Amino acid sequence: MSWRVGVDIGGTFTDVALVNEADGQIGIAKVPTTPRDFGQGVVQALEIALQEHGVAANDVTLLSHATTIVTNAILEGKGARSVLVSTRGFRDVLELRRSARADLYDLFQDPPGVLVPRHCRLEVTERLDAAGAVVTPLAESDIDAVIDFVRENDIEAVAVSLLYSFLNDEHERIVGDKLRAALPDIPVFLSSEVLPEIREFERTSTTAVCAYVGPILESYLRRLEEATSGMGLPSLYVMGSSGGVFDVAEGLKMPAMAIESGPAAGVIAAALIGRQLDKPNLISFDMGGTTAKASLIKDGGVETTSEYEVGGDGNVNRWVHGTGHPIRVPVIDLAEVSAGGGSIAWVDPGGSMRVGPRSAGAEPGPVCYGKGGTEPTVTDCNLILGYLDPEALLAGRLAIQAEAAREAIGKHLADPLGIDVEAAAAGVLSVVNNAMAEALRIVSVERGHDARAFSLVAFGGAGPMHAAELATALGIREVIVPPIPGGFSALGLVATDLKRDYVKTLYAALADVDLEEVGAVYDAMEVSAREMLRAAEVPESQWVLERGADVRYSRQAYELTVPAMSGPVTPETLSDLAAQFHEKHRMTYGHANPDEAIQLVNLRLTAIGKLEGLELRQSGAGDVAAKKGSRQVWFQKTGRVDCAIYHRDGIGADDEIVGPAVIEALDATIVVPPAWRVQTNNSGHIIMEAQDGE
Amino acid sequence: MANDGGAPRLKTDAATFEVVKNSLYAAAEEMKVVLAKTAYSPILKVAGDYSCGVFDVAGEMVAQGPDLPIHLGSMPDAVKAVISAWDSFTPGDVFIHNDPYFGGSHLPDVNVISPAFHGDTLLGFACVRAHWPDVGSATPGSYGAVTEIFGEGLRLPPVRLYAAGVLNRDVDAIIFSNVRTPEERRGDLNAQVAANRRGSQRLSDLAEKYGADTLLRIMAEVMDYSDTMLRALLRDLPDGEGSFEDFCDGDGILEPGADTDETFTVRMKVIKKGDTLTVDFAGSDPQVAGPMNAPLSVTASGVFTSVKMIVDPTSMIPPNSGCWRSVTVLAPKGSVVNATFPAPVVYANHEMSHRVADMLFGAMAGFMPDRVMACSQGTSAVLTLGGVDYRNGDRYVSYETIKGGFGARPTKDGINCVASGISNTMNTPIEVLEMSFPVRVEYYEITTDSGGAGEFRGGCGARRAWRVLGNASQASICCERTKSAPFGLAGGKAGATARIAIETLDGKTRELNSKGGFPAPADSRILLEVPGSGGYGPPDARDKAKVAQDVKDGYVSAEAAKRDYGVDV
Repeated sequence: MSWRVGVDIGGTFTDVALVNEADGQIGIAKVPTTPRDFGQGVVQALEIALQEHGVAANDVTLLSHATTIVTNAILEGKGARSVLVSTRGFRDVLELRRSARADLYDLFQDPPGVLVPRHCRLEVTERLDAAGAVVTPLAESDIDAVIDFVRENDIEAVAVSLLYSFLNDEHERIVGDKLRAALPDIPVFLSSEVLPEIREFERTSTTAVCAYVGPILESYLRRLEEATSGMGLPSLYVMGSSGGVFDVAEGLKMPAMAIESGPAAGVIAAALIGRQLDKPNLISFDMGGTTAKASLIKDGGVETTSEYEVGGDGNVNRWVHGTGHPIRVPVIDLAEVSAGGGSIAWVDPGGSMRVGPRSAGAEPGPVCYGKGGTEPTVTDCNLILGYLDPEALLAGRLAIQAEAAREAIGKHLADPLGIDVEAAAAGVLSVVNNAMAEALRIVSVERGHDARAFSLVAFGGAGPMHAAELATALGIREVIVPPIPGGFSALGLVATDLKRDYVKTLYAALADVDLEEVGAVYDAMEVSAREMLRAAEVPESQWVLERGADVRYSRQAYELTVPAMSGPVTPETLSDLAAQFHEKHRMTYGHANPDEAIQLVNLRLTAIGKLEGLELRQSGAGDVAAKKGSRQVWFQKTGRVDCAIYHRDGIGADDEIVGPAVIEALDATIVVPPAWRVQTNNSGHIIMEAQDGE
Repeated sequence: MANDGGAPRLKTDAATFEVVKNSLYAAAEEMKVVLAKTAYSPILKVAGDYSCGVFDVAGEMVAQGPDLPIHLGSMPDAVKAVISAWDSFTPGDVFIHNDPYFGGSHLPDVNVISPAFHGDTLLGFACVRAHWPDVGSATPGSYGAVTEIFGEGLRLPPVRLYAAGVLNRDVDAIIFSNVRTPEERRGDLNAQVAANRRGSQRLSDLAEKYGADTLLRIMAEVMDYSDTMLRALLRDLPDGEGSFEDFCDGDGILEPGADTDETFTVRMKVIKKGDTLTVDFAGSDPQVAGPMNAPLSVTASGVFTSVKMIVDPTSMIPPNSGCWRSVTVLAPKGSVVNATFPAPVVYANHEMSHRVADMLFGAMAGFMPDRVMACSQGTSAVLTLGGVDYRNGDRYVSYETIKGGFGARPTKDGINCVASGISNTMNTPIEVLEMSFPVRVEYYEITTDSGGAGEFRGGCGARRAWRVLGNASQASICCERTKSAPFGLAGGKAGATARIAIETLDGKTRELNSKGGFPAPADSRILLEVPGSGGYGPPDARDKAKVAQDVKDGYVSAEAAKRDYGVDV
């Protein structure tokens, strides 16, 4: 028997997902995360999971891992002591940033952190012009001063980012060669190797992030790999921010790829569900205790973005907020809102009902958990409305204090507003649902997609409870709840492909770009890609190389990425690029300017090593009765009605349930509003459909 | 915030109100995305010099996007100007104007306004104000020192650019015959129209979903709500009175025979009582010959920005017209802070609103010292360049703003080289700038010793040199605080003043006045040091380890550490 194993480290729990390659059976194990030594927790989690499910180490064919170690190093300021080498006159590029402040009105805001302090930002005399030609030759003696500084100050990593190195990397290469020769134990990251892309701050930031986290990532992965190979497990893969996995050697060349490796996994798992159920157009919706995330899957593919910052207030909604460190690597395009089961509801001094951004988190948690929470949360409101079992959750392990929740809602919401408790709870639900609908809207309607043509895949502990109402708000008619929604993200780790993204700036007017030059850039990236796939021992029949290009109208500042044809580069390649760009621009922004000249900015290549497809399956009905009983549940349309309650474990394939209904499982509760109908299938997915007239 | 008793009651239920309010702000934010991602000129697409908003049928601002504070007070006037000039509106109409004496701020800020409908019912308007890098006049960039608004560029009253979706070719032709680089301007205008379309569509969608009556009621209620919120927060602050006086470097117009610009004075008195705030500029100097005169709405925008930072630093209150009902701004007519036609205004738009925003902190420091900050850079530090690109023979206009220090706070240092107060535009990447325009930036770095000394040090400013390549360029500068240093508070010292100079090929360096056009010969260098910001608290109270770290990192020199802090490093 062959198994694939994924390990996802979360803030509280480390999830292990196992999937049997032959029949798609799923196993899940959860162990507490060990923040002091993540590696130790991973090893423990693996041991427990393999034992629980009776899997021998040599039956494991793929071991894949999502790590927060890189992100944590940045958030906690615990990265390597690094040096940045810049063109003379430009050592402050990291601190000058783009010069906008993160918050318009916060008098007490802190400046964004700078990964390399000013006295460790060194300059070399050299300068290229805007065409890449040398204006000031490189003063090689300046490199010796850098070497001395590194030795004298116990520096652990070096980033080199010179102006226009994406056009001409000669100076950077000379600096890199000299540093690497003199300092063989110090990792040196060149911006022309990491990200040969225009815009000096973003390129420098990406390179500095690599230097800052590289040594930590290396020691972590090496130790972990030693431990897992000691257990007899196969070589370790890491999930990257763009949703593919890479091996340890590749990750150390480009540590910035290991940022945001967790959140991508849920989207990949959703894409897998889409392939299995033959539904290529999906919106994934993941709602947990503190945040909700949405992402779009179109024609089976995930959408990525290169506008991303790590270590700041996040990329909530539409804008990077200027608080973190930009990394220009493809990151799965997620819209995120601070809304989860733990979000606290309150009435502001203007008399409006607000939800979040404060969260009760895991401690003290919602009032109804009885662990000391006093302020009403979304979960408390879901309880009062009847969505949650009023006696106990987690198969009886967590007793529920419904009366305390009712009192808290009364005191903090209903009384100040002069309404009853149920109306207050219903109000909270509509506010939080609207916030999440906005996230769904951002990834769909705002990007030019008609949400009604998509199905919603709902997971996370709270996702399946809110999904049908959100779908209604966007006109979506189908909601899919996968098996094990509470541990779904970890499944994405084993459901993906090997993936590496390459980029190279080729800045030229599309109309008169040299075809041979375009071909040469693609060829060079493809040589690197093939080397990578060969080194990772992916059979050649499984190789896929996808070309793309970042283009814009010549006077714009933001590019759109469109796919490019493979094979020899011909005039048709370019006219196809242009046609796709006009169309995507029209879709995204509502207009296109077909007479306008197009600027080519970057060429991209994604190298994929396909892994065999998987099917996820949860065995059919267990030996519990499907129907558990009934209780009063409140719905927007009907108010409080008598509602059937089901055990998910008791529902078999091809069962049909008509809403209103609530389906309970250990890890998540599924709410089926009136006029929605549930169809199960033989792989354990629950599919909800809006009925006619809805 | 605790709320134990009865909250103010809204007419709409609290949850529906919250939902629709959030949707209105999301609409304004979405407009911003469309504009930024499709505009053509760097100042819009990467620098972000624009604001988007949703307005009611009377032209009051219901929701502003997360945009420039400078437009807080003056955007409603832009929409009201269209409403007063036109009797009726049709779906697909688009209006355009930029007249500071009829709802605008300065001529480069071009307002584009579209009505939104539900069936036949007018719901309100979407408006995008965006800074065009050029609107004609004798100087590329339209930043010349002139003495009448007629010299500042193309002046457009509210005219209809599209009638029911059909382009008015006459208006279009007039506009694009009067601006430099018309292709680029056309791209910007298309982006503004597209952003408006997105905003008015979202208003229509909301009316479809909730009903036009409900939407209109909530639009009114959102403004009442902001008013209630601001008053509630104001009441929690101490009452008091304070005043402040500061002088400006000049107006860019030199008296015959003079080689330096004459300064002038702004005076402010503030009274905070209960839930009201009055800011009175009585005693400020009369309007000046050059473009340092602020229309009252520009002055008010500066005041509102600092009020919001003092009263609502965590942004509890959504920005809209309702916010400012409890704030009264008084200024003598015909003064530098309440200009009358036909005084020129282009510099004052940001320089005067920066000034009054900083002064408000100074005036309120006496009675709420823990809620204010020392003076920031106090300028948008604009450099424009224009001419013919030697590489391709094309005309070009470049417009950049360089950032100085963000003032020190009662518990924290200032911030180095970041936008402050009324402004929040971004810089243009050097690599993009040099590919677009025939210049080479020779350094761009933090200026040592530019942050005012204090227990909490002021933020440093930046210094930069541009070499003008190939052909001569017609340049202009607008950078306040070359003479009037950014003040410190509570014993903190002032930050460094600005400095502008031109260095010609013969090696000679000539200092320039703070405002006005100047020729930059081929291969000359323009040198700019923008101001730092003031410190907060006495320098000798500063932690010695922080002084040593500042010296190690070169923010403070060893000499200054000795002089200002008495620390030997």
